[in-house]
Amino acid sequence: MGKPKIPVDLLLSKLAEDVEKAQTTAQKAADVLLQPLDTAIATTPYDVVYEEDRVKLKHYAPAAASRFKTPLLVVYALINRETMLDLQPGRSVVQTFLKEGLDVYMIDWGYPTRKDKYLTIDDHVNGYMDNIIDFIRDRHHLDKINLMGICMGGTFCVIYSALHPERIRNLITTVTPTNFDTKQGLLHIWMKHMDVDRLVDSLGNMPGDIMNFGFLLLNPARLMLDKYVGFLEHMDNKSFVENFVRMEKWIFDSPDVPGETFRQFIKDLYQKNLLIKSELVVGGKRVDLKNLTMPLLNFYGSFDHLVPPGACELLTGKVGSTDTEDVCLDTGHIGIYVSSKCQREFAPKIVNWLRERDGEAQNPEAA
Amino acid sequence: MDEKTEEKSGPQSLLEAWMKTSTDFWKSMTRSATAPPQTAAAPGSADAMSRRGTLDTWRSSVKTWQSFSSLAIEPESLEGMFKGVNALPDIMVKMMQPAWNGFFSLQQEWLKAAGRAGRSAAAYNFENLDQEAFKAFTDLYEKEFRQYLNVPALGLTRVYQERLNQAADRFNIFQAAISEFVSMLYLPVEKSMKVMQEELTSMADRGSLPQTSKDYYRMWVKTLEGHYMTLFKSSEYNEALGKTLKTLSEFVVARREILQDALQALPVPTQKDMDELYKEIYLLKKRVKELEKKNRPPIY
Repeated sequence: MGKPKIPVDLLLSKLAEDVEKAQTTAQKAADVLLQPLDTAIATTPYDVVYEEDRVKLKHYAPAAASRFKTPLLVVYALINRETMLDLQPGRSVVQTFLKEGLDVYMIDWGYPTRKDKYLTIDDHVNGYMDNIIDFIRDRHHLDKINLMGICMGGTFCVIYSALHPERIRNLITTVTPTNFDTKQGLLHIWMKHMDVDRLVDSLGNMPGDIMNFGFLLLNPARLMLDKYVGFLEHMDNKSFVENFVRMEKWIFDSPDVPGETFRQFIKDLYQKNLLIKSELVVGGKRVDLKNLTMPLLNFYGSFDHLVPPGACELLTGKVGSTDTEDVCLDTGHIGIYVSSKCQREFAPKIVNWLRERDGEAQNPEAA
Repeated sequence: MDEKTEEKSGPQSLLEAWMKTSTDFWKSMTRSATAPPQTAAAPGSADAMSRRGTLDTWRSSVKTWQSFSSLAIEPESLEGMFKGVNALPDIMVKMMQPAWNGFFSLQQEWLKAAGRAGRSAAAYNFENLDQEAFKAFTDLYEKEFRQYLNVPALGLTRVYQERLNQAADRFNIFQAAISEFVSMLYLPVEKSMKVMQEELTSMADRGSLPQTSKDYYRMWVKTLEGHYMTLFKSSEYNEALGKTLKTLSEFVVARREILQDALQALPVPTQKDMDELYKEIYLLKKRVKELEKKNRPPIY
């Protein structure tokens, strides 16, 4: 009798083993899930030093005396929350910066309500950001500060730096979309056909829940199914569960996006791709990338399905600065900040790059 | 039996008998109600006044009924009434016919779709999506039912009625669009199952089946992921997504108008009122900030 093509007995015995293993995992998981878990995020202490409407400015005091002349302002996107940069000890970009003596400020965009639906990109860039940058400059008696942007926040930083180059010493952009004429990412394909006027006119602000659902749809097999299968397999591991819950807390903490900002972002950027062509108009002024003359460090991820490399890599070739550098990491959109491998590459690279262009502090104490 | 008796046979005679009996019944009821009571109220008292009012109402109602029933008993009136009743089935059939025709055509589409389900679907191919069933439903709704919601309303509350009808219409269109969208999202799951079956069959022939359930799962998830990526890049998906968002927006606007109408009756501001206020506040704040900036001394 030949060997059976379908080893049913082997399959059944493996299945029995898997079931037994699953039972053991489930028993241990019950113990893990029912005990107190440390799932707090954004635990690094800070002070709120400036407030304007819903926007707050957080200041993180450096762990050691500040060794940098120029403080760094971090501008996160309007989508999701800036707490991702301080997700947990050991995976905190903020803590890495502070340990290296950087004086860090971060914008907390807050939670827009219906009254914010009229706020435009101009209000965010030439309004809130400009006021905050003036506040920091005044506080530190400096004419220029360092600026770092993440995703849509990076786009805002590029716009600001092109409009006000005299106020920015060094610019860092991370996973920042500047070229929207690419078919590498699904978002770029979907946004081309979106009737954003109708959507904003009916909904006001773009609800965070709808955007969350849209992001999940980018890869439902992995993000809605496989992720939770992985959780079930490891839910007996306390550390894994805590990290998982932290990430869940962050990923579904999605504020609404002010309607007019969303409208212009989709129409002028995703659909008309005006920024990379230096044709974007903000606050009545044309955003000319050639005016971006300060040193520029541009990070992006090769596996980023939200902001693919094609959306990021053209920037350094379009700006007026001669000191530019592209860094492509083998990671995705979020992994660049939270993966343990990138923690060793990403934040230290930024610190060293700034140090080369900033010099040591003359007076370490800030105002 | 003479002719008159013949004519009065059947339903006509029954109706006549019923009318006569009911008239006699109400006559006797009225007589007993109007008969002086055992303990009569004093003339001119409040009780006597109210009894007289009640009696007058009774008398006029019975007189009206008497005159109606005497008219209705006449052969010509009865004939007219029955002609109207006999015409009812024809009218009902005429009204229901379009709806039935539409339902049967939809059923035909469903049967065709069920027949097509048996054919093997090419992997990673979403060009010939079986969306005919949804199209048939939408066509049926738009041709047969929508017209009733678009009938112009009349009277004092016509504006509100039209808004209600419009909201109902938008809701139905949105339901159709989102059903189509959700069914499209399920397509990769079906296709991946089919591909898995075919793949496992060929692996079984080669004698290289996966050893563990985990390996089966990984195979399936990878296949599923690939199908979703292909679907999301297709023009059909983009159209369905666009249609869903468009119909959602339209429904939201229509629903908001109804809610605003309802809120206007209550002492609470509507969203429209608040939006107008927000706009004014926004413009004022912007102006103030601009002026503050102009008057602020230079920082550095």
